[in-house]
Amino acid sequence: MKSIHKLIIAISISMGALVTSCQKLDIPPTNIFTPDIIFGSEAGVKSFLATIYRGLPIEDFKYRPDQGFKTGGNDWENFFNSASVTGEEVGPFGGMDIGGGFGYWPYGDIRNVNILIEELPKHADKLGQSNVDALLGEAHFLRAYYYFGLAKRYGGVPIVTTVQDPGAPLSELQVHRDKEEATWDFIGAELDLGYQMMNETNELGRANKYAAAALKSRAMLYAGTIAKYGSANFVDGQARAEGFAGIPADKANGYFTKAYDAAKLLEGHYSLYEKNSDKVQNYVDLFLKSESPENIFVKQYSIISGTAHSWDATMSPRYMTANALTRSYPTLDLVQRWGNLPVTNSDGTPKRFNDRAELMQGLEPRLLATVYFPGATLRGLTFDMQRGIYPSFSGTAAAEVAKPANSRSYILSGDTKTLYQGRMIIGFTGPWTGGDELTRTGFYVRKYIDAAKPISTVDLNRSEQPWIDLRYAEILLNRAEAAMELGNAGDALTVINMIRNRAGATPYTSIDIDKIRNERGMELAFENQYYWDLKRWRIADVVLNNARFKGLMPYYVFNENKYIFLSEPELFQRNYNFDKKFYYEPIPGGELGKNPNLYPNNPNY
Amino acid sequence: MKKLISRILLGTTILASSACTKIDNYDGPNASFEGNLISSEGGNLLTSQGSSQIRLEQISWSATPSPQEIPSKFDGTFKDSKLFKGTYKVIPKGGAFWPLYDTLTVDINKGTKHDFTVTPYILIKNFTAVLNGKTLTLKYTMEAPIGAGLPTIIETQPYVNNTKLVGAGASIRDFSDIYKKAINKEWADMTDADKSVTIDIPDMLPGRKFFVRVGVRLNDSFKSSNFSEIIEIDVPAN
Repeated sequence: MKSIHKLIIAISISMGALVTSCQKLDIPPTNIFTPDIIFGSEAGVKSFLATIYRGLPIEDFKYRPDQGFKTGGNDWENFFNSASVTGEEVGPFGGMDIGGGFGYWPYGDIRNVNILIEELPKHADKLGQSNVDALLGEAHFLRAYYYFGLAKRYGGVPIVTTVQDPGAPLSELQVHRDKEEATWDFIGAELDLGYQMMNETNELGRANKYAAAALKSRAMLYAGTIAKYGSANFVDGQARAEGFAGIPADKANGYFTKAYDAAKLLEGHYSLYEKNSDKVQNYVDLFLKSESPENIFVKQYSIISGTAHSWDATMSPRYMTANALTRSYPTLDLVQRWGNLPVTNSDGTPKRFNDRAELMQGLEPRLLATVYFPGATLRGLTFDMQRGIYPSFSGTAAAEVAKPANSRSYILSGDTKTLYQGRMIIGFTGPWTGGDELTRTGFYVRKYIDAAKPISTVDLNRSEQPWIDLRYAEILLNRAEAAMELGNAGDALTVINMIRNRAGATPYTSIDIDKIRNERGMELAFENQYYWDLKRWRIADVVLNNARFKGLMPYYVFNENKYIFLSEPELFQRNYNFDKKFYYEPIPGGELGKNPNLYPNNPNY
Repeated sequence: MKKLISRILLGTTILASSACTKIDNYDGPNASFEGNLISSEGGNLLTSQGSSQIRLEQISWSATPSPQEIPSKFDGTFKDSKLFKGTYKVIPKGGAFWPLYDTLTVDINKGTKHDFTVTPYILIKNFTAVLNGKTLTLKYTMEAPIGAGLPTIIETQPYVNNTKLVGAGASIRDFSDIYKKAINKEWADMTDADKSVTIDIPDMLPGRKFFVRVGVRLNDSFKSSNFSEIIEIDVPAN
């Protein structure tokens, strides 16, 4: 009997527990952040924005054009840059290894921006309407930045502006490619919204309204040149015929006008950095001083948060750093953008120098601030580049370089310890072909190098100087190029001379498109722009037609106690060839597999 | 112990015998496709490493197949004996010939053969290679089967190698690329003198055998070259 009582009690307790237990299960999950928590406060929005900024396709120190954007703590191989396949530098890549891209497809990041744009207006009561508007403007800028990263690689891509529901029918999720023209127009419209809605200023590292205008000038210039030059030099195919790769030529001037107008918006709000009267030091400082009025949009790095880069340690030889590995070196071809160096006499014989540093006399300050020449100093040490020793030298430079290596009378060495009559044969800083530490062209990169760092602190993953993604000099160059394409040579000349004055160069009295392009090549060297410039001007297949590049080799002539410089093939002896199909990258194969509506793929893939 | 071992053995036997019951009944890649790239001007199209391919798309497998390519051999033939049986769209591409736009649909099975006829951009005629001392003199003329609308002629150059496999990407740079002659003209603007080329290659190595041909490169989508036949040269020892 007792046991029945017990049974009744047990059943009623468990029944009671069952009935009451299920009432409060339908509550918001407590272990994940809901939209209310994220978008209900400024701190929440900021943390969400941080993810979006982190993914931005900024081609910075760490960007590796064959692998992608790097945001980790040990992405130290900063010499794998696009400059190293375009003839600005030579080195790590065996040839044109980046033409096919790395399958960039950031629709996950774009979805985050779309969530932001969808959610923000719902939370105006908590965030304030003006904050919401500014944040929305920022979101449009960010979305444009992602689409710009896509458009310059693939041409037309699917434009997705809503947060897709994963449960939607497949036919809705498999979005068609949009035409290339529509994609660029979308980017322009997004940046217009960004300019209208954002504030004049923002936190360092975030975009303000002028960043939107600056990016627009860049993007519209790309679109204009693709329309103009892409309709003359192209690869035939279905994607081109259907407008996914290529823009009609008559649209070019419309884009150039947009690029010009956007660049004009920054006038009076930004200026070139001219704080130091020493022109060389001024040009060096502009990449290192955070208070520069030239910086429009920067990306920051920090050792503490594990995002520091390695520019200082991967661009200078170990001789001047704590632990370096260099592999990409500026070419003589780049240096000759500034004109031929005075290394040869009029009779063809090499000019004799008492000291290596004499070569630098009279060169443009911007050139000396961009490239470390033989004889320059860094952290108290001299760049003592020396390829070898000639016991004696006679004849012309050209005849000597044309000889087969084994019939030249020079003395070379595999290491710095070997001496010739008490003199070092090669310098501590190269050139040398035995390993990845010393120059193979006779030059090193100076741009962005922080000379103030003590040697002991120059190590991998220890550089924190910000990357200047948009700076006013580029906007002026965009403006000059757009003006010239529109036939406004007067404005182009004025703007180019502003840049040349700051650089310490002689101003031009007349201007043409080649001068503007060359100015761009000089001003923006190593800033990961030239690869895209070669592509959008559609000259990459001409410039990089089985191209080989040159270095400047310093030699010591023993019996004269003088130095000479010979222009010789760079010592990697690389060969660069750009296939025409590389003007567009292939749509990634995995994406084509998931979404057949992405066909046709770009021509010749 | 014995019991345990026999149980384990029994278990593995059961597993092993039941594992393989599903047989892969798909055919292996045992179909083949071969043929010639025939020049409309007679003979096979003379090609070089990577200069022309046959592109295949297996439409019986997927509506949007990933393309695969059969590279053509130096003599203008091609063959792939490891294809899956099925229906393919095929088209020759990449070489220096007037592009074909109509793809052909072929059922590829064992031993399927097909010859494609293409019209080369440029023919290299009267090609001679004469050795005078250590200097090799190459002479040839260019002809165009169809002149109108021909892509810009970029350059012409010799290719010298010490094997029969000689052509773009397979040559000795010091005897080949550095004797490149830039042209950069439209066919209509080229004079007879432009079309008749002489190239001297000095300092050929004595006592060696070389294989020599010449090519003309055009600015089409592939920047491809038309090639001459290959001439064998024995440089006498000193």
